[in-house]
Amino acid sequence: MIKAKIKPVQEILDAIDGYEKILNVGCGGCVSVCLVGGQKEVNALNAELKVHLEKAGIQKQIDGYTVERQCNESFLQELDNKVLEYDCMVSMACGAGVQHMAKRFSKIPVHPVVNTVSIGVDKDLGMYEENCRACGHCVLGYTGGICPVTRCAKGLFNGPCGGTNGDNCEISNEIPCAWLDIYKRLKDQNRLDDILKVRPHMEWQNQSPRTIIQEPYEKRYIA
Amino acid sequence: MALSHIFSWTFMYDFIRGPMVWISFIIFFCGVVFQVLRFMSLLKEQPVKKFEPGPGNIIHSQTVSHLKGDRVKTRWFKKGPDKKDWMVWLKLSIAGVNPFMTIVTTIFHVLLIGVPVFVLGHNILLDNAFGISMVSLPENVSDFLTGVVIFCTLIFLFRRLFLERVKMITSYEDYLFLSLAAAPFVTGYLAYHQVFSNYKLLISLHILSGELLLMAVPFTKFIHMIYMIIVRFNVAGEYSFGNARKNW
Amino acid sequence: MFRKKNTAGVNSNEIRAILDEKKAKMKLSLKACAHCSLCAESCFLFMGHNKDPKYMPSYKFLNSVGVLYKKKGNVDKLDLGEMRDLVWERCVLCTRCYCPIGIDIPDMLALARRICRSQGVYPQYDRE
Repeated sequence: MIKAKIKPVQEILDAIDGYEKILNVGCGGCVSVCLVGGQKEVNALNAELKVHLEKAGIQKQIDGYTVERQCNESFLQELDNKVLEYDCMVSMACGAGVQHMAKRFSKIPVHPVVNTVSIGVDKDLGMYEENCRACGHCVLGYTGGICPVTRCAKGLFNGPCGGTNGDNCEISNEIPCAWLDIYKRLKDQNRLDDILKVRPHMEWQNQSPRTIIQEPYEKRYIA
Repeated sequence: MALSHIFSWTFMYDFIRGPMVWISFIIFFCGVVFQVLRFMSLLKEQPVKKFEPGPGNIIHSQTVSHLKGDRVKTRWFKKGPDKKDWMVWLKLSIAGVNPFMTIVTTIFHVLLIGVPVFVLGHNILLDNAFGISMVSLPENVSDFLTGVVIFCTLIFLFRRLFLERVKMITSYEDYLFLSLAAAPFVTGYLAYHQVFSNYKLLISLHILSGELLLMAVPFTKFIHMIYMIIVRFNVAGEYSFGNARKNW
Repeated sequence: MFRKKNTAGVNSNEIRAILDEKKAKMKLSLKACAHCSLCAESCFLFMGHNKDPKYMPSYKFLNSVGVLYKKKGNVDKLDLGEMRDLVWERCVLCTRCYCPIGIDIPDMLALARRICRSQGVYPQYDRE
């Protein structure tokens, strides 16, 4: 799922500066699961902001509300009437959710409160690791399940660069060379031939917003 | 004997055979129309945004692989009509998932409407009343089909009593409506075969249960007979047919 | 069965107000549900938990929104707690459930979740 991390509190306070009535909208989806934007965190953030504002002697009305998911329009319908009373919204959802909200409620500013970091896995309670960069050209089967785009510092798609520093990347001793790990894993599975297969490169297609239409529905949308 | 006194009471008998028929059909048709309109008012047409590829609008597609001479292979649901495709589609639908229930339900519902419309007794009554009638089935066939319907309702009852997954969500209304649906067929069968000596009683029960069934359609879960068709052809979703574009 | 209700902390009027917003659709769905259980196989959680009937979409729907409607919102914290387990742990709102009659089950479950959230009942992902 998408993993995110909360912004520093000063950045949030700067964002809500100048607005009197603020609605803090949480999301019950990915950010709830990674413990940064669910209902509990909405309440916690509101309390923290109130403490900071009281110390500075500023009075604001900050309310909280959590929707199921901010990435789907049908779940935003319940906010339609609520937002009329506020002059600013902060959203604890991922970047996609913030944009969706900003589009639907385009007359009110919507500020993000978390930084969306990656598609990742749960390593432990509160700890999440990035595993995928959503390049759209998944070759994990041939690299033994290790993503060269995410793990290789240069994002090399078809093999190591030859600049390894022992077991590590030449950039830093703390980053293990992804292609060495790929080699080891494929060797364990007796599939070293797969390293020799050259895959066509991505052509950097992920520079513009990509839309996905699942094949059974193509006739519905493509004119 | 007291019961037969009540039913051989001319007024009751004439009422069930006469005005009550009209009343039940009127309630049925008006109720169904009312419920359909109520349902359709909840649906709203959602405009389908056609996708125009252009600057800023890119449909993501994978670059073609040059490996193993990858010929472009189309997906199974994009091919033309082919016997194998229908088999796959069928297997993935509810018919493949639960074939027994699909067959039983289909037979039950087809006969539920089919038998009353084509049975000889009803057509004679129609002919006497209005001078028109449908084609009629031979009596032994309609007899057998009535038995099939009763057997299907017994299967449903069995399912509701003994299958854990259905028992969990069953309420008293389910048993009530199942008996209501079965009652015209059971009483019709018994009356036709003159099982009990009091024919008038049974035939009155048959007519009465039929009328109650018709009147119950718009106001109970029986309305699914209309809704199922409307939803399939109107509400957009994974399983809709045709140009389903509306949304709740 | 006749447990003494401790209605502290649960605002029945609020629950009724939220139910009223979707009254037409909810009443229609509750009435049209034929209790046929044909929706079961379309839920991957049902298939994955050994076809446990407690994962059936219709079961989830009838025991969350159905209970709230029948009790007219007069539920207590224990009821909401049970509903939380039902609606969050037995459903991920993937919206793939299929009803032969066309009932929008995910929407009803989202309504139940919304009511629970309004009363301060929500999943605690940090307490597993």
